[in-house]
Amino acid sequence: MDNEIQKILIIGGGPTEIGHETELDAATLQMIQAFQKLGIRTLLIDNNPFSVALERVQPTNMFIQTVTTENVQRIIEKEHPDAILPTVGGVLAISVVQELQESGVLSDNGVRLLGIPSESMVDVNNPDRINDVLRQIGAPVISSETVGTLDEAVSVATKIGYPVIVKPVAPKLDTNRILCDNENDLINAVTQGFAWSRFSQCLIEQSIVGYKEIEMVAIRDFTGTQVLISSLENIDPIGIHSGDSMVVVPTQTLSNTEYQQLRDMTFAINNKFNFTGVSHIHFALDAQKETFYVTKVTPYNDRGTALAAVATGYPIATVAANLYLNLKLTEIRLPEIYHFRQTAMMEPTVDHVVVRIPIWPFEDVPNADQHLSTVMRSVGSTIGIGRSAEEAILKALRSSQFSPKDELPSMSNLSDSQIISRLIHPLASHILVLLEALRRGYQVDELNELTKVDPFYFYKLRHILDIEDEIKANPMGAKALKDGRYYGFGDGMIARLWRTDIDNVRQLGRDHDVVPTYKGIEPTAAEFLTEATGYYSTFEFENESNRLSDHSALILGRGGNQLGPNASADYFTTSMLRQLRKSGYKTIIMNTNPNAASLVATLTDKQYVDPIQLGDVLNVIEIERPEIIFVPGNRHYLTRELRRRHLHIAVLPPDQEKRSELVNNYAQIGLDLFITKDHIVPIVISDLRSDQGMATTFDQITVMKTPASIDDTQLDKILQHATDYLMNDPRTGLVQMLYTIDHRQPVFAGVRPSRLTTIAFLNKVTGINWVRMLIRQALGEIDEDLISNLPLDIHSDRVAIMRGTFPFKQLQLPSQLGLTTQEVGGRIAFGSNTKTIVDDEADETE
Amino acid sequence: MTQRFLILEDGSSYPGEGFGAGATTTGELVFNTSMLGYQEIVTNQIYHNQIIVFSQPTIGSIGITHDSYESILPTAKGMVVRDVSDISKNRQRSLSLDQFLKQHNIPGISGIDTRHLIRQIQKNGTMKGSIVDVDDDHAFDQLHATVLTNQQVAQVATPVPYPNPNSGYNVVVVDFGLKHGILRQLSRRKCNVTVLPWNTDAQSIISLDPDGVILSTGPGSPLDLPESVLEMIRTIQERIPLFAIGLGHELFALANGAEVTALPVAHHGASHPIRKIITNEIIYALEGQEFVVDGESVDRDRLITTYRDLIDSSIQGLRHRDYPAFSVQFFPDGAPGPNDSVDLFDEFIEIMGTREELHG
Repeated sequence: MDNEIQKILIIGGGPTEIGHETELDAATLQMIQAFQKLGIRTLLIDNNPFSVALERVQPTNMFIQTVTTENVQRIIEKEHPDAILPTVGGVLAISVVQELQESGVLSDNGVRLLGIPSESMVDVNNPDRINDVLRQIGAPVISSETVGTLDEAVSVATKIGYPVIVKPVAPKLDTNRILCDNENDLINAVTQGFAWSRFSQCLIEQSIVGYKEIEMVAIRDFTGTQVLISSLENIDPIGIHSGDSMVVVPTQTLSNTEYQQLRDMTFAINNKFNFTGVSHIHFALDAQKETFYVTKVTPYNDRGTALAAVATGYPIATVAANLYLNLKLTEIRLPEIYHFRQTAMMEPTVDHVVVRIPIWPFEDVPNADQHLSTVMRSVGSTIGIGRSAEEAILKALRSSQFSPKDELPSMSNLSDSQIISRLIHPLASHILVLLEALRRGYQVDELNELTKVDPFYFYKLRHILDIEDEIKANPMGAKALKDGRYYGFGDGMIARLWRTDIDNVRQLGRDHDVVPTYKGIEPTAAEFLTEATGYYSTFEFENESNRLSDHSALILGRGGNQLGPNASADYFTTSMLRQLRKSGYKTIIMNTNPNAASLVATLTDKQYVDPIQLGDVLNVIEIERPEIIFVPGNRHYLTRELRRRHLHIAVLPPDQEKRSELVNNYAQIGLDLFITKDHIVPIVISDLRSDQGMATTFDQITVMKTPASIDDTQLDKILQHATDYLMNDPRTGLVQMLYTIDHRQPVFAGVRPSRLTTIAFLNKVTGINWVRMLIRQALGEIDEDLISNLPLDIHSDRVAIMRGTFPFKQLQLPSQLGLTTQEVGGRIAFGSNTKTIVDDEADETE
Repeated sequence: MTQRFLILEDGSSYPGEGFGAGATTTGELVFNTSMLGYQEIVTNQIYHNQIIVFSQPTIGSIGITHDSYESILPTAKGMVVRDVSDISKNRQRSLSLDQFLKQHNIPGISGIDTRHLIRQIQKNGTMKGSIVDVDDDHAFDQLHATVLTNQQVAQVATPVPYPNPNSGYNVVVVDFGLKHGILRQLSRRKCNVTVLPWNTDAQSIISLDPDGVILSTGPGSPLDLPESVLEMIRTIQERIPLFAIGLGHELFALANGAEVTALPVAHHGASHPIRKIITNEIIYALEGQEFVVDGESVDRDRLITTYRDLIDSSIQGLRHRDYPAFSVQFFPDGAPGPNDSVDLFDEFIEIMGTREELHG
């Protein structure tokens, strides 16, 4: 190990946005845990209020600041870290570190780069430079040229021939490849691309739309030893951004020869650039000509590495942290929970199929262009794990096309011409159209021709339809139930096809011994008889999951990210997990979001990756018999059904909609309080605003700033009113009292449960984790002592601002007033200690 | 689809759906953890007499292709899988896995909890099993009564010599049930190959004046082969560069005084790291072995250990101290599996070159 490194500065991922969600924070969290275990002091800069990782560093090591070159430089000069880690903060971190390297800040301060050597750092995210290096090792790359002016762009595109792809060189943010069919498209794309590029340059390359997109995730130690962790196959062809594509792990349609070529090339690329830690290489495969191209080299953590880790059960981020410190793969012991016989040196092999399906934000942002293209538009994703492609696809669909009763939406209202048009120009939820086309008798070859999706997947989808027909034709048939469950149909789906109650379906299953069997998610395909901590269900012979404990808590996650609560929901869940452990419970999480921090194996005692639907939840409950079940507040049907079965449940995170009582349609001031049976505790009082000034509706309130711009008299009046009001109100937990100011007088505007985003704000401002307080309340652990010792000061003059962030730019929409339902992430900033009102914008370092 | 059963020696029976041939079959159950290459696996002659349990749950997804045969006439006894697809992707779109198995009279059964089976085999060791239409007492009686031949090499190796002409080094491959990957690698290096039956004596090999000799992979126990094979190896290694793979490696070890023992559980897969001792480099390769060279028994005056499996510490490679002869337990040709050790064929070419310089 490299003993010269005692202090590491990690560049965090910043606010969640399209392109990266919680996976960066989850990776950061694992890195921090690994570094701390090695006795290394870890500093973290991030302004994401929903960061789980930020809570794992000491306050003195925590820099809640925007990730900018200036801020990072300031920290370097003050703290003198031995090394800087640019590989968990996405594209932004890479670009900031590149600038620090170019300006000599890193070398002047003797700060070493981890993961990516300085000589390769200049190439990262610079496709032209990358291609030059790739050509040196004989890697096939697409013909391309870098341009700096519109004229150059037009002449290069004419030379290469349309369609072409435009990529900004060294982008400042997570941008996309833009497909251009003609000169008009090209001019728009290049103009935009110049603005995104740090060098005002774009790369114009030959289009390979329609090729198969394959990704490889590998890790490498400083001696050059490598492990291929996983292959990922995009079901949708090139032309649809890999973040918007359905992805299957491991590859299903490659021959051994094709696969080994890509594995060899991955290793050769990592050797050439001398990367250590994790790397993620994209390939385009021309199935007809049996040739391939290298399309993207990503030597850092991203959604692909997160999926590879969840799919294989191999702790990539933890191992990578050790590799950065020049430990060899053979020297790295895996965390206890993995029970590996040996070291990190083992190539994962899995005996299940994982499918990831994206979630798009179009319901909340209806004016966005909904066509799937080279520009990523999804905001989250869910995975399904099964022992057949059908089972994995259906499970992923049941989570991504979420419906409370677990029924899949139908596309039967589309006309034939709409179907054709959507086959050629895919929209969100493409897979439902593929299913509908098969239902209408389209042939596999014809569909393959139109969509470039491998025939294998159409055979699998057709099989799903065959099973559906069998279920329909055999109401309450035991064999139909067995086949349905075996291939991934949910109890809700089957109940609907039979027009019966889910209880009848479940009883039929019990009567005929069609019961779930859980299989371990582990990287050896059962070669080693180890006890896994992660499980998924299937309907086979052997069940590997037994009751964990007679003192366990089951926590139902929020599933895939969507606009609105998004990252804050997963932050809430992980806080719950921590407190439950502290309170002595064995914790069991059920979740389907591969990017969720709450699925990081070290945070819970057991993980189930299965749809969070009534049937699947009951199945887990029957095995685990938990003492208490935590159900998210937005799951009304599930809550009702679990209550009806007399299960001990607690509704957390609290319901955001149902329990509001609003007497006005906007508010300017919010007072958040914690209410127990005997106490009403004011926490923080804040100004409430929209991101463009005053909010005129509640759903425009996306900015919070404390202290509120009111005087002490007004504050006292509000505190008095709130106490009086809540004294006679049955609410407990965290609530927000809302006020307007009319002629200097506070006027009551309503009361609502504190929003998830607000709770994160309260945590950061007070240094008390209120989620954990809610859990302790649910467990009856709140007492007089605890309440009276809370270090709270409602009169504090420390300035803090939290703003919601919105995906409009990435959805290529003009700037617009953001609503709470459109929040993709958030950012937080702390200001001076004076009670002067700091101008919002002056506080922002951007 | 017809219901069939996989029955095992321990009395258990698993219902599933038949595919491939409808015959009743009996063999030793072995599992393979490779994630790709079902065609290469089922056509590998090391599976003679065996029913292969695939850990990869989706099998058949790319049909049968011309460049993935490890033998033309496969002799595996059966395939046990979780899920099988009836897909054909070759140019005629005419050959799915199901049709291929029918052609070669190999039964398959799908819908089996293969993960469970693998865990059972790990716990209880290798078992015999049958794929049958009815799982009655008669079927179990038949299963128990079946004695599997130990003359496996004779069953699968070529009975007559055949050439694979090219313009380079003159290489003799002694066929114990060879996988075609070896021939492909030699072709790629322009070797002029003659494949000879397993029981060819040393003199007949020498009279072909080869630059090098390869002892091929093959099925079964090296201990079931006659002493004459070991004599052939001892004679050849003194005179001609020798490269032995798989069963060939086990025979090479035996010929040089080492002992070979049966593993409690056969190991088939490519997920074990293997250390190349001389460079400390770590590679992955397809392993497929039921036997292992006993480390204690290796005479260090004669043999040097060159490769070792990092998971189970088994010897994976040997080299003779005095002669240009070396061997590996794993399959350096991949097919299916990593190409990390394909340079062993280059090393063999190099050794033949050195010898030519000395003698030429």
